[in-house]
Amino acid sequence: MDSTDRSLIDAHCQGDPTAFGELVRRYGDSVLGYLMRMTGSREQAEDFFQETFKRVHEKAHTLRGDQFKSWLFRIATRIAIDSLRRRSRLRIISLNQKSDCADIDRQELGAAALADDSYEPSGEAIKAEQAEQVRQAVQSLPAKQRATLVLAYYQQLSFAEVAEVLDCSIGTVKTQMYRALRTLAERLPNIGEDLE
Amino acid sequence: MKRHLTERELIEYQFKLASDVRMEEISGHLEGCARCREHFEQLKCKFSALDLLRQVPRVSEDLIARVIRRAEERPHVKRGAKYLAPPFRRGLPWIGAAAAVLLVGLLLVTYMNRQTMPSREMAEELEPAAEKIKFDVKAESALADRFDKDVAVEKMVAEAPGESEVELKDDGRRRTEESSLVSRASSLGSIAEQPPFAPASAIELVVLPRRENVQLTIYNSADLTLVRERRNLTLKKGWNWLQFMWANTLIDPTSLSLEPLEQKDKIYIQQLVFPARLRELGRWLIHSDFSGQVPFEIMYFTSGLSWRAFYMGTLSQDEKTMHLQGYVRVTNNSGEDYENAQTRLIVGKVHILDQIAELAKRQYPYDRPVVIEEDKKDQLKQMLIREKVPGIGGYGAAGISFEELRPKEIRKEGLSEYFLYTIEGTETITDKWGKRLLSFEAEDIKVVSLYKYDQERFGEQTIRFISIANDKEHNLGETPIPNGNVKIYSQADEQGYLSYVGGTDIKYIPVDEEIELNLGPARLVSVEPILMNYKKDNFVFDRRGNITGWDEIQTWRMEITNTRTLPVEIEITRGFSTAYWTLQADIPYEKYDATHARFKVSLEPRSKRTFEYTVRMYHGERKEVLTKRK
Repeated sequence: MDSTDRSLIDAHCQGDPTAFGELVRRYGDSVLGYLMRMTGSREQAEDFFQETFKRVHEKAHTLRGDQFKSWLFRIATRIAIDSLRRRSRLRIISLNQKSDCADIDRQELGAAALADDSYEPSGEAIKAEQAEQVRQAVQSLPAKQRATLVLAYYQQLSFAEVAEVLDCSIGTVKTQMYRALRTLAERLPNIGEDLE
Repeated sequence: MKRHLTERELIEYQFKLASDVRMEEISGHLEGCARCREHFEQLKCKFSALDLLRQVPRVSEDLIARVIRRAEERPHVKRGAKYLAPPFRRGLPWIGAAAAVLLVGLLLVTYMNRQTMPSREMAEELEPAAEKIKFDVKAESALADRFDKDVAVEKMVAEAPGESEVELKDDGRRRTEESSLVSRASSLGSIAEQPPFAPASAIELVVLPRRENVQLTIYNSADLTLVRERRNLTLKKGWNWLQFMWANTLIDPTSLSLEPLEQKDKIYIQQLVFPARLRELGRWLIHSDFSGQVPFEIMYFTSGLSWRAFYMGTLSQDEKTMHLQGYVRVTNNSGEDYENAQTRLIVGKVHILDQIAELAKRQYPYDRPVVIEEDKKDQLKQMLIREKVPGIGGYGAAGISFEELRPKEIRKEGLSEYFLYTIEGTETITDKWGKRLLSFEAEDIKVVSLYKYDQERFGEQTIRFISIANDKEHNLGETPIPNGNVKIYSQADEQGYLSYVGGTDIKYIPVDEEIELNLGPARLVSVEPILMNYKKDNFVFDRRGNITGWDEIQTWRMEITNTRTLPVEIEITRGFSTAYWTLQADIPYEKYDATHARFKVSLEPRSKRTFEYTVRMYHGERKEVLTKRK
């Protein structure tokens, strides 16, 4: 974390009302992206997002050192894994077969279609379908493997940072990462030339 | 490493999960093992699907407002100095004392640092300047030494006339941060006795003369494009510096080459230098005995340009002919705009030394390793020969000599298995844009529609195929057809409304080759096999009374339904569990292979047809019956 994160936390602890908003804005996209990939649902991700920053707000005074980003992702991970574990006991059936994220992708594709002359509807539909398959493959991973993959691959945290977030050794992170990738190698769609 | 790499090792390598030593071992093995490289490429392709989820969602302002509102409703319990209180309350005054000592120490150190800061900063500022002076002096003397040895250059300099200034043709439209060329006089007075030192200052940067024309040859399989551009530069007699910048592009700086197209005997390209401390630019030192405008060809490899072929076929109402349109979509993510480019596409696989994108990102292109394997070097040479490369001035810096890469002859036979596909005319391909180009159009291509039923391959569905040939008879055959996606439509009525029939990927079709397009399941044509009779017969026993051979007899009725308004032809393939079989059928059949028979049936519009066949399969010792009969 750079010094401004620390100063924002300090300002927040001192009662500065704008500091917390600045932190939310600074890390909002990143945390929401992480939670969406963890949950596969925007709605759930937004719930966890609010919960994460609520805890940041309440526990800011307990943060020592400069590792705000790791600390933030650790909170988000705990919330996601705990809540998903709790919710897995309740069977929730969505009325919408595809995930919410897929809808977002489609909206984005629609916007891209308007902007791009070379837009091909069938190609984009295939792409959206494949993105859904990838999402399902990632969702099928055990929570820890999923968290490791998302943090290391999508959030581009170093293995040391991931280890700090997940409170384990770098060796464990690499093992979890390998297991996740081994499983994905069997489940990911062959995108071949479709993405060229 | 003698053995091939395992999938685990490849995954660990791709995602940098292995130790540094192991990474190097794997990397070394991959360089020398084509099989593992191919396996690795497959894995990379597989994992590239993960990038479909790369897009980062944006947090809505509404959500941020909700989070902040919620936080404001619950002010945090502990804040500011309060959270320092517990250790003191717990009766640990020594912690407080230690903290106070540390704090005072810290303040003192900070104060002292501030006192010394100005002189330190000044020294830091002066250091690069001092270094620069040292470097300049050293480099000048080094160049002078080198030049003394270079007799040819010395002679040229001695013969060169006096004044040397450079004009630059400038259309004023290019941005300075784009690739640019600079031409400048090396000295203000008479031509120097030795080549001038590479100017390290950026002051002489000027904008680029407009490209006269540009040719792109896109090697899709290697993410590689050969760019040959022609620009008119105005040179003055004497030494000239030409600067090329590739900031924000994916150009491979090690591949830069410059060649005059006229006045070749009067223009000598002495060297290409990559000045220290100046990133993403190279400078050519040119000596000219000619004053005036000279067309130059600049050539380099870049990454980020790709192409993809796709086709649209429209079947006539009777489905006997097809109108085929071939398109090519060229996408430019190279960071550079190419106006009015003649575009040529390479169909086939080309192996190249490095990923160009990686090379483009290197800070110091001249600092790359110079070890190049012999076979790879040959491949590069061959590719350049094919492209009629006139000269490679810039390769000296990359460790390959000028003479080594100069093509001695142009050979086209047996160079590779790839094919050049040229798009007619020129196209402007802007950075970050894709462009769809019509590559060919052919009317009245004869097609053969065929339905296939093969339970082992397609399950219970009947699959529709159409076949065409890439030859003159089918109004094609002028060029091979690159691989791509084809979509087939059918004219639904006389008004010209179209209905989608199916789509598939096609492989590269050479001239005079036939291709069958799988259009997917047919809903209006069905085949239903019904087992009418099943029995086992002619048992053979050994001395102990165990069964050692028998015949299996199956009678099948095939019911075929055509609900289309057109006549259809169906090919039905039936498989048997043994290679020892005989068959009796109502209609002729063909033995397709050892274990399959094939029937061809024609059906009128909206009709049904049935036929029966009985297959006798010989098992165990009964196989001998068939062998003896043969």
